[in-house]
Amino acid sequence: MSLLAIILAMLAAGVVAWASERFHANAPRYVSLLAFIVGLVWAAAEWLMGADPRGLYAVQFIEWIPRFGINVTLSMDGLSMMMVALTMFLGIIAVVSSWDEIEERSGFFQFNILWVMAGVVGVFTAMDLFLFFFFWEVMLIPMYFLIAIWGHEARAHAAMKFFLFTQVSGLLMLFAILALVWAHHSASGEITFAYHRLLDAEIDSRIGFWLMLGFFAAFATKLPAVPVHTWLPDAHTQAPTAGSVILAGILLKTGAYGLIRFAVPLFPEASEAFATPAMVLGAASVLYGGLMAYSQSDFKRLVAYSSIAHMGFILLGVYAFNEWGMQGAIVTMIAHGFSTAALFMMAGALQHRLHTREMSKMGGLWVRAPRMGVMTLFFVVASVGMPGLGNFIGEFLALLGAFQKNVPLTVAAAVGIVVAAVYGLSLMQRSFQGEPNPDVATMRDFGGREMSVMVLMMIGLIWVGVYPQPVLDMAAPFIDAMLAPMATLPDIPLAEATITEAGLHR
Amino acid sequence: MSGMDLLWLVPAAPLAGFLILFMLHDWLPKAVAAMVGAGSVGVSAAAALLVGMDYYEAGAQPTWQLLWTWMSVAGFDPAIRLYLDGLSLAMTSVITGVGFLIHVYATGYMWNDHEEPRGFARFFAYMNLFVFAMLMLVLGDNLLVLFLGWEGVGLCSYLLIGFHHRDPANGYAARKAFVVTRVGDTFMALGLFLMFRELGTIEIQESLTLANSEWGGGDTTMAFIIGMLLLGGAVGKSAQVPLQTWLPDAMAGPTPVSALIHAATMVTAGVYLIARMHDIFLISPEAQLAVAVVGLVTLFIASFTALVQTDIKRVLAFSTMSQIGYMFFALGVGAWSAAIFHLMTHAFFKALLFLSAGSVILALHHEQDIFKMGGLWRKLPIPFASMLIGSICLAALPFTSGFFSKDVIMLTAFEHANHGLLFWGGAAIAAFMTALYTTRMMIIVFFGEQRTEAHDESRINMWGPLLALCALSLLGGWFGFGVVSGVLPDGGLGEFPHAFGIAIATMVVPLLGVGVGLLAFGWRVIDVEALADSAAGGALKRFFFSGWGFDWLYDNIVVKPVTWVARINKGDIVDWIYRITVAITRGAHHVGSLTQSGRLRWYAANMAFGLALFLLIVLGVIG
Repeated sequence: MSLLAIILAMLAAGVVAWASERFHANAPRYVSLLAFIVGLVWAAAEWLMGADPRGLYAVQFIEWIPRFGINVTLSMDGLSMMMVALTMFLGIIAVVSSWDEIEERSGFFQFNILWVMAGVVGVFTAMDLFLFFFFWEVMLIPMYFLIAIWGHEARAHAAMKFFLFTQVSGLLMLFAILALVWAHHSASGEITFAYHRLLDAEIDSRIGFWLMLGFFAAFATKLPAVPVHTWLPDAHTQAPTAGSVILAGILLKTGAYGLIRFAVPLFPEASEAFATPAMVLGAASVLYGGLMAYSQSDFKRLVAYSSIAHMGFILLGVYAFNEWGMQGAIVTMIAHGFSTAALFMMAGALQHRLHTREMSKMGGLWVRAPRMGVMTLFFVVASVGMPGLGNFIGEFLALLGAFQKNVPLTVAAAVGIVVAAVYGLSLMQRSFQGEPNPDVATMRDFGGREMSVMVLMMIGLIWVGVYPQPVLDMAAPFIDAMLAPMATLPDIPLAEATITEAGLHR
Repeated sequence: MSGMDLLWLVPAAPLAGFLILFMLHDWLPKAVAAMVGAGSVGVSAAAALLVGMDYYEAGAQPTWQLLWTWMSVAGFDPAIRLYLDGLSLAMTSVITGVGFLIHVYATGYMWNDHEEPRGFARFFAYMNLFVFAMLMLVLGDNLLVLFLGWEGVGLCSYLLIGFHHRDPANGYAARKAFVVTRVGDTFMALGLFLMFRELGTIEIQESLTLANSEWGGGDTTMAFIIGMLLLGGAVGKSAQVPLQTWLPDAMAGPTPVSALIHAATMVTAGVYLIARMHDIFLISPEAQLAVAVVGLVTLFIASFTALVQTDIKRVLAFSTMSQIGYMFFALGVGAWSAAIFHLMTHAFFKALLFLSAGSVILALHHEQDIFKMGGLWRKLPIPFASMLIGSICLAALPFTSGFFSKDVIMLTAFEHANHGLLFWGGAAIAAFMTALYTTRMMIIVFFGEQRTEAHDESRINMWGPLLALCALSLLGGWFGFGVVSGVLPDGGLGEFPHAFGIAIATMVVPLLGVGVGLLAFGWRVIDVEALADSAAGGALKRFFFSGWGFDWLYDNIVVKPVTWVARINKGDIVDWIYRITVAITRGAHHVGSLTQSGRLRWYAANMAFGLALFLLIVLGVIG
C-alpha cells in the first residue's frame, strides 16, 4: 500500500468514525481502533519486507503543482519508519486509554484523533517542504479541537495558547521555507520545494543562519524547549487523556524529528555555529523542566514538565553533532513516547476515578489499587532513567555525545539526572505511598483492558533498554549520511593499533 | 561442560526468581514465594561454588562469558559480558553466600509482617532483583554493565527501605537514600563519559591497560580527574563522607534488608569499584590519597557518632559506615587485598550483627531503642551468643576474623611513606572507639535489668543462618585472605619492618576499648552520665548524635533553597513573558476599540485629521 493511501485512509477512517456515531455510540471507537491496528500491521509488514537499496521502506511521488516545484513526495526510511510505527502504536494507546472517558460527541472525537495522526504520519514521511508544512498545519487544528472541546476546566485558554504558540512559530518556519526556496532559485534558477534538492542548495552563510533559526524556532517550540515551553503544561493539563497521550507521545516528537530531518541537514554549517546556544537551551530545559516538575502538585502538570526535561536531552544530543548524541536523541524519542504516554494514561485514569489531579487529594493509593501502583512505579522508574529500560539508553547516549562537544553543559544537564529522581519519586510518594487518604475509600484498580496496554508499553521499554540495536540500526543510515559531510566525529585518540599492541584483542 | 559455563546462571537464577515473584505475587502462596525467593539465591550460590571450584582447578586464570552486545554506536559498543577473576569471585561468593543466608532468615522474619501482610512475595521479588543487580555490578566486564548493576541496587535499596510504604517517614528515608546516592552516580557517569572520550572505551580491563600505557609515568591529570569522579560515585554508594547522610535513615527498612544491602553487599560496592579500577589510582597517587583521607575521616566521624546512638540499628549503621571507612582507608594506603579481605569478614560479622539484632527487635515486638532493652541474655540466648560473636569480631579482638583483616590494614597504614604515624594514629583512635561503642551496645542491650518483655519465637530458618554466620565470622579470618591474593597489586601479607612493636599496639588498642567500655557502662567506675550532663559534654553529645551536623548543613544549603524556589515559582516565571504580551495586546485592543465610538463627529474629525496627515506626507515626499 502506498504512503499516500495510508494517510488518505486515516483521513477517511476519521470521516467514517464520525458518521458511524449515528449507528451506535461505541462504533467510532472501534473504527478508530481498527484503523490504528491496520496501520500498525501495515508498518510491521513494510518493516518485515525490508528496505530497498536506498534504505527506503516505502516511497511515492505524485506531481502536484509542477509550476512551483511542489510535489507529493513521500518516503519512509528507517527513521520515519520507526516514528510512523510509534504513531500507530500510540494511536491504539490513545483510543484505549480514553475508552470510557469520552461520552459526548465521541464520533467527532475519534475523527479528530485520526486526523491529527494522519497529519503526523504526513509530517514523518513528507520529503517536500511545502507538503511538510501542509501536514504540520493539518496536525494542529484537530489537536486544537481535542483540547478545546473535550478538555478540562480551563480548556479554552489552554487550547488557544497551544494554537498561538504553534501558529506563530509555524509562521516563522513558513517564511524560512519560502526564503530557502527563493535563495535556491536565485542561485540555481530552479524552483523546487523538494527536500533532496534543497539539501544541496548553496546559500550564503549569513542568510542560512537566519533561515535555520526560522526552522529552529518552530521545532524548539514544538519540542518544547525553555523558554518557549509554557504552552505545554497548560495544554497537557487541560487536554483529555487521549490528547495528552498523543501530545506527549508523538506531537512533541515531530519537533525533534524536524530538527534531525530538516533544521540540521538543510543548514549544517549554520546549525553547527548555533550548537552552543542550542545546547544551552537543552541543558536549561533539563534543569528548569525538572525543577518545575518538582514544584507541581498536579499529577498531570508534573508529568508535563518532566517532558520538557526529557526533551532537553534530545536538544543536547542533536546538537552534539555526533552519532552518539543523535542516536541518543532518537532512542529518547521512542522511549519517552512509551513512558510518558503511560504516565499520562495513569493521570487520566486517576482523574477519571477521583475527579481530581491534585496529589494532595491522593496518597496511599497503592493500598486501594496495587496494580496501578506497580505500573506507576515502573514508568516512574523508567523515566528516572534506570539502566535496563529505554530512557536510560537514550539519555546516556545523548549525554555521552554531548560530553564530546561541550563538557560544562553536559555536567549541568547531568545534574538533571538527580533532579529526575527527586521529582519522580516525589510523584510516587505523594500519589501512591504514605497513609491512605481517608477521602478515597475505594478506587477501582486497573482491569484487563488497561493492564494489557500498560504491559505492551512495559515490554517496549524493556526491549529498547535491553537490546536497543534494532532501533539504532534503523536510524543509522540517515544519521551516517547526515554526519558524513560534516566529518565532525571527534576521532578517538587511541588507534586500533594501540589496543592490539596491548594484546587485548580477544 | 565445565562448571565455568554456569557463570551466567549465577545472576540468572535470582533474575528468574524476581520475574516469577513479580508477575505472580498476587497468586503465590507464602510458602511457595519463600521457596522461590530463597531458593533462587541458593541456586545462584551453588552455581557460584561450582564456578569457583572450576576457577581454581583451572589455575585461577581470569575468564569471560559473553552474553550479548548491549548496543553498538560508532565505536561505543558495551557488551554484556561476565568477567571472572579472584576479585569478582570473592564478591560473588559473599553476595550469593551471605545473601542466601539472609534470604533464608528473612523467610522467618517477614512471615508475620503486620504492616504489609500481602507483601511477602513482593518483598522477595525486590530482594532477588537486588541480588541480580549486585551480581551484575561485580561480574560486569564493562563500566556500563557495572553501572546497570550500580543503579539497579540503588533502586532495590529504595524499594526495600520504603517497603512499609504506609509510613511517610519510610518513604522519606527511601527517597533520601536514592537521591543522595544518585548524586554520586552522576559523578560516576561523568567519569564514564570522560573515560570514553580519553580512552575510547569503557571496557574495564581494556581501559586499565590503555590507561597504564597512556598516562603511566606521564601526565596523570586525566587519571586524577577520572579517579576523583569514580570516587564520587563510590562515596555515594558506600555512604562515605560527604555523601554518607542517607545510611542511618536507611535503617527504616526491614532488618534483613539492612543486613543484606546496607551492611554486607551494596554499601561495599564503592570499595569494589575502586579495587576494580585500582590502576587508575596507582597512576594518580593524589587520587589514591583522597581515597585514604575519605576513609579515615569517615571512620573517625562515624565511630564517634555510633557511641551516642540510642537505636540499635543506628548504632550498627554508623558502625557499618566506619568499617567501610576502614576499607576505603585500606585502599588508599595500598592495602588492596586487605580492603577486600575486610569487606568479606565485615560482610560476615555485620550481617550476623544485624540479623541477631533483628531477632532481638522481633522478640521485643519492634522495639529498637537500646535503653528499653536490657537483661536479655538469659531470655534470648541464641541472639545473645551470635551478637556477642559478631561484636568481638567488630571490635577486632585477637584471632577473630575482624582482627585479621583490620590488623593488616593498620600495619600497612603505618608503613605509608608520608603520613604513616598520622594514619595509624587516626585509625587506632577509631579502633578504640569501635571497641568502646560495641561494648556499650552489648552491655545496655543484654545486661542490667530487663525493661521489656521478650518472646523469642524464631525457628530454624532464623537461627540456622545465625549459626552459619557465627562460624564464618569466627573462622573466616583463617582462610579468607587466600581468596583475593594475586588479583590486586600487593603481594598479600607484606613485610612490615616495624612490625613487632606496632603489631602489639594494634592488638592492644581494641582490648583497651573493651576495658574502658566495661568500666564505663558495665561496672560504672567512670561516670558517663555526669559527663553527658555537663554543658560541654551535652553539646558534644548532641553534635555526635546528629552525625556531626551534616544533615543540618545539607538541609540549609541545598534542600531548603530548592524547595523555596520550587514553591515560589510554581506558576512558572517564564510564562510571564507571554502573559505580559497578552496584557499589552489586550490593552492595545481596548485603546483601539475606543476609537469605535459610533459618533459621527468623531469619525469625521478623524477622517479630516488623517487626510491632513496624508497630504502633509505627500507634500513632504514631493517637496
